[in-house]
Amino acid sequence: MIAVQTRWKALAALALCGLSVFGCSAERSELPPGVLVITEGEQTAAFIRNFNPLAEVGDVRWAATRAIYEPMMIFEPIEGEWLPWLATGSAWNEDATQVSFTLREGVKWSDGEAFDADDVRFTFELLRETPALDLRGVWSHIEAIEVRGSHEIAFTFAAPHVPGFSDLAHQPIVAEHVWSKVEDPISFANEEPVGTGPFTEVRTFQTQVYELGKNPHYWQPGRPAVDAIRFPAFASNDQASLALVRGEIDWAGYFVPVIDRTFVARNPEHHHYWFPLLDGTVFLYANTELEPYDDVAVRKAISRAIDREMVVKVAMHGYTRPADATGLSDAYARWRDPEVAKGDWVKHDPDKAGAALDAAGLVRGSDGWRTLPDGSRWRPQINVPAGFSDWVRAGQVMAANLQAVGIDARLKTYDFGAWFDKLQRGDFGLSLGWTEVDPTPYGFYRNMMSPATVVPLEESAPVNWHRYGSAEAEAALADMASVADEDRQRALVVRLQQIFSEEAPAIPLFPGPLWAEFNTERFTGFPTRENAYASPSPNAIPQALLVLTRVEPRGSSTAQPEPRP
Amino acid sequence: MKYVLRRLLFYVIAAWASVTLAFFIPRMMPGDPTSTMFARFKGKLDPAALDDLRAAFGFTDGTLLEQYGVYLGNVLRGELGISIEYYPATVSSVIGNALVWTLVLAGVAVVISFTLGTLGGVLAAWRRGGWLDSTLPPLFVLLGAFPYFWLAMALLFVLGFQLELFPLGHAYDDRIAPEASWAFFSSVVGHAVLPAATIVLATMGAWMLDMRNTMIAVMGEDYIKLAVAKGLSPRRVMLRYAARNALLPNVTSFGMALGFVVSGSILTEIVFSYPGQGYLLLQAVQSQDYPLMQGLFLTITLAVLGANLLVDVAYAWLDPRTRQG
Repeated sequence: MIAVQTRWKALAALALCGLSVFGCSAERSELPPGVLVITEGEQTAAFIRNFNPLAEVGDVRWAATRAIYEPMMIFEPIEGEWLPWLATGSAWNEDATQVSFTLREGVKWSDGEAFDADDVRFTFELLRETPALDLRGVWSHIEAIEVRGSHEIAFTFAAPHVPGFSDLAHQPIVAEHVWSKVEDPISFANEEPVGTGPFTEVRTFQTQVYELGKNPHYWQPGRPAVDAIRFPAFASNDQASLALVRGEIDWAGYFVPVIDRTFVARNPEHHHYWFPLLDGTVFLYANTELEPYDDVAVRKAISRAIDREMVVKVAMHGYTRPADATGLSDAYARWRDPEVAKGDWVKHDPDKAGAALDAAGLVRGSDGWRTLPDGSRWRPQINVPAGFSDWVRAGQVMAANLQAVGIDARLKTYDFGAWFDKLQRGDFGLSLGWTEVDPTPYGFYRNMMSPATVVPLEESAPVNWHRYGSAEAEAALADMASVADEDRQRALVVRLQQIFSEEAPAIPLFPGPLWAEFNTERFTGFPTRENAYASPSPNAIPQALLVLTRVEPRGSSTAQPEPRP
Repeated sequence: MKYVLRRLLFYVIAAWASVTLAFFIPRMMPGDPTSTMFARFKGKLDPAALDDLRAAFGFTDGTLLEQYGVYLGNVLRGELGISIEYYPATVSSVIGNALVWTLVLAGVAVVISFTLGTLGGVLAAWRRGGWLDSTLPPLFVLLGAFPYFWLAMALLFVLGFQLELFPLGHAYDDRIAPEASWAFFSSVVGHAVLPAATIVLATMGAWMLDMRNTMIAVMGEDYIKLAVAKGLSPRRVMLRYAARNALLPNVTSFGMALGFVVSGSILTEIVFSYPGQGYLLLQAVQSQDYPLMQGLFLTITLAVLGANLLVDVAYAWLDPRTRQG
């Protein structure tokens, strides 16, 4: 018996050894220095080789819009300025109907051909011929494009359209000598890209990893300092987080819970993160076509009933703060009017909320729940997409907050498709939702309260899901579209903030953070709170270009970082 | 021969029914793929671009019946269309990539689980009340009761992350080129250990318990007593007389399990970032990628039907009575 037992033990030991041989042999070999490992924001288990920067609706790799192709200018949201990139400057004409760009001399495509104004003209012509690529609808405003010499190009608008600048300046520019031969630019996978960006040479492409080497003809001298960028595929947040914590990723843009303990504590010297509140503000949208949300007093009462401090703590791990009465996130920090921001309708005050609801005729019934004017119990439903765990938690807190003032509110989760469909068709009472980020708050306030964006219920609304229109706001927006001068724009934005705070078209909750984690063990030069030269997240298009051209392998640094191009 | 023909006819009808269901079920889901896909533009998409894209992605306004006709024709020609989620890759190429890995991982795991479980069940029943019988089945049934993903995460955290014995994810070390080399092969095996162990641990209990219970029933039969009385060796009685007969119901479930391998072990694959079919299925459902869903349903159906065909054949061999039927 003893013999048998030892034989079993020996076998078991052998089996374990055998397995761990595979385990150990699978130990990761060291990466060559100079290969920067980045995680794509999109979760996927298998990469498809697609580097088409124009067809963003397809399954396009991260690098297409952030490393291979470049725009004419890049907006840097922290200082709030436009940085010259493929263009060295731009100018508006007097009446804001024409904008011209001066292009940089000496820029080459990665195959060695020269870049010039014809490439820019060709890119925009391609959008006109293929409306499916003109995702932002630049051609609904442009009237003509004029090439004024090899490095000068001008765009003429049908009417003054200052907000159209960012769509032009941020458009990735493709090479005419390559793309003029492409038959169908929508389904073109562009497997061997030719770009002006810092990383253009596909060194490896497998289903679970790809690597791009640097552009041999890059226009910034001595840049990029990094030899190659490499992307492993992760199917889930958990997988990415484990790899990050283990130090296998140099630059990531993921939500990581309790990050100080899970990530930073593991290597305080080199593990860093920075979550600036540069994403859009998350809103609670109330359907203003429906009773009782058509009453501004009711919307403000709901807003007062919400304990945003709690929402931020419970739902967002304290990574953000409660929104102020302008609804603006830090992406618009320099536009924010301090007076409007003091507005108290976004402060938690259940007593005031209750009084306002009483005054609006939504009084408590005998069972303690508030009733609608027709006498039935008011049972609002807060719609949230299933799986958005932070929003689900926020919704739970808010439902409890509303119940505390006598509103029988419940959280309701739907599959994403169903949730979004209801939101767009206006088939909701209350729903969580996002807002977008642009260089100026024009688009934000337009989607919030321009009558031009209101469509009837049941019709699918691309924006303004809460269906609110304000004539006053429309006038300010129209002025803003025709004024290129920033001081005059600022005055109009203050006016828009006042209207927003007065009319409360929707209920702001908290500004969204951008996720960015860095491992400085092998690389330095990432943007930090102290050296905030760019938006730090790899998810930011096209701001990631700013980081890619500044990051350096540790030890290779040439004293002070060079000034911006 | 009649038996085989009858079975074949059954399979053709079953295949048609499932192809039809694969078409209609995704379309009964609320929402539609365009709005889901365009959601990532946060409403910035120009309406003109939207209409144009609809056409490019092949969303037609034809009636459901017309679409069904086109779809049936395409399926017969082996054309599965273009994936929406992975645009512009074709569904066949997307599935092809993933199918290999799922077959490697889940296929091997199910075979291991079935073999070990069945053998364990035989031994447990043969030494009924012995230490093997009183420890193994309860232990594995307990493990099988844990949720898949929990088991996967526990293994990943302890063996992968804490002890660093095994890699955390992926199908092979991405720094090794996929080629016919020992380094690549050992990397594939090393990466499959944890996910495969999850599947084996979670499913072995059921095989063991089923086998043990049928064995015990069979061991009460007269022919076993006869075999023992004839003085045959215990090993021969156990394997050739008892186990062979007790195996029949387990073989049926094995066929089913083998078929479902193709649907992948969704949660295991997600936890380990394993590039298999299961993860694809999840993505297809989330983004309402109808062509990809149809393609996946189709491969799953064909796999289940194919595995059942094999089971039918195996039955004919294991149990001579079916041949007369």
